[in-house]
Amino acid sequence: MASLKLINVFLKVNLQIALAYRADTLVNILINLMWLGWELIGLSIIFSNTDTLAGWGPGELIALLGVFRLVNMLMVAVIWPATEKFNTSVRDGSLDYTLLQPVNSLFLVSFARIQIWRIWDLILAIALIVVGIRFSGGAPHSLNLFYFLILVVCGVLIIYSLWIVLIALTFWFVKFDNNVTILQALMDSGRYPVTVYPPWLRLIVTYLVPIAVATSIPLQGLRGEINGTQVLVFIGVALAALWVATRVWKAGVRQYSGASS
Amino acid sequence: MLHIYRRLWQVNWAEQWQYRANLLMYLLYWLVSPVVYLAVWTTIANAKGSVNGLTANDFITYYMALLIVDQLTSDITIHVLAYKIQDGTLSGELLKPIHPILTNTLVNNLAFKALTFMVLIPIWLVLYLLFHPDYSMVTLSSILTAIPAIALGFGINFLLGAALTCLAFWTTRVYSLSEFYFALASLFSGQFVPLQLMPPAIQRIADFLPFKFYIYFPVQIILGRVPPEKLVENFALGMAWLAVAYVLFRWIWREGLKRFSAVGA
Repeated sequence: MASLKLINVFLKVNLQIALAYRADTLVNILINLMWLGWELIGLSIIFSNTDTLAGWGPGELIALLGVFRLVNMLMVAVIWPATEKFNTSVRDGSLDYTLLQPVNSLFLVSFARIQIWRIWDLILAIALIVVGIRFSGGAPHSLNLFYFLILVVCGVLIIYSLWIVLIALTFWFVKFDNNVTILQALMDSGRYPVTVYPPWLRLIVTYLVPIAVATSIPLQGLRGEINGTQVLVFIGVALAALWVATRVWKAGVRQYSGASS
Repeated sequence: MLHIYRRLWQVNWAEQWQYRANLLMYLLYWLVSPVVYLAVWTTIANAKGSVNGLTANDFITYYMALLIVDQLTSDITIHVLAYKIQDGTLSGELLKPIHPILTNTLVNNLAFKALTFMVLIPIWLVLYLLFHPDYSMVTLSSILTAIPAIALGFGINFLLGAALTCLAFWTTRVYSLSEFYFALASLFSGQFVPLQLMPPAIQRIADFLPFKFYIYFPVQIILGRVPPEKLVENFALGMAWLAVAYVLFRWIWREGLKRFSAVGA
């Protein structure tokens, strides 16, 4: 429960920061809406030239866009701000202050900085998913919906684990501060169903930098293309990834030598 | 003057060379979305035979050429200049008897371009082997004609980018403004889709805007799809935009500088 309390405090602090820069918050929301418009124009251009994209209709692509934005939102709202601060703190040693606190350091690094206005993005993403599903013709099977939710959580956990490993590498290679760019750069591939990509790219975004696991795969679950056993496999992979990531993190912290060295 | 440029080149090249490890990351950023769009459109073209007359190979050749053109016409002025205006370090450069943007920033842009280009070429060759495009329609003369078009595209992009960056003299939100600019450019330049697949109304607008010179126009020249009379017409329009961009930049720069000294930075 202590961690819930802490998250509550973090949210409050970050809300105060956001309110101190009200105009910036407004501008950010406007930019966000503009990109949404851009993406919808993109989809409408695609579907003015074709009826389906690799068997996926417009509704399903809107839902996919929703999932993509959900995952992307988690990256920019939670992961990005934390990374920026983390890389410097390893270099100049101010990570000492984080490690001294009587809470799990990984928890502190992950959640101390959150861009609170992105909650708006979360609402928008959920709206897109709902509208997309409706648009693609009727309510999905409730079991498929359940799979979908589980797969989204698994996908997010897998990406989160990869992120932990990437930033933990900073403990060994101090100058490696562009580490997360690789995630952000490949993120764009999550906008479209993974089946459109040539095999080599599909392998990369599924296994190496598993963006597709968090975007395409949940949608495939919703379409009923993934069975119960496969869902169990994904749960297993997600838990294993998280376990490996925390081990790497702990090894990294042991490697870290503080500010005075 | 040439001597100054040469010296600035040495400085900026050395500076960029320091960050070569990060280059691969930047390039990745650059590569992903064209490859994604390439995959999306070739999937559609393969399923339907062709999209509006464009075959899968047309899309592959388009986006593969785009990778190179986009990199050559791109402009990083906002990233190397905006912070100097905001924290006042521009003052040092203003003391020098040369125009800081038209010399230092420009050369910095070119050095970055040269270095990224060196890394891009091997990656491009790998993609060539993966997608095996059929480039039989490309001729030596189409490539030679594309070179001035690419230079023109970079010129417009650089001057408009510099004009936009100079708004930092007035507002701290210049990065937000640049995002709007970037969104417009990526829609109207042909980055997302060859412009002939856009709805006719948007095509007509895109035809008058400067953004098509960043990507669409040079790429179409390389692919030999621009008839001679269109070529002349478009070069004329491009030169007009270059002039407009130059005047706009000079004006914003002059007015901005007045404010800069006024706050005593």
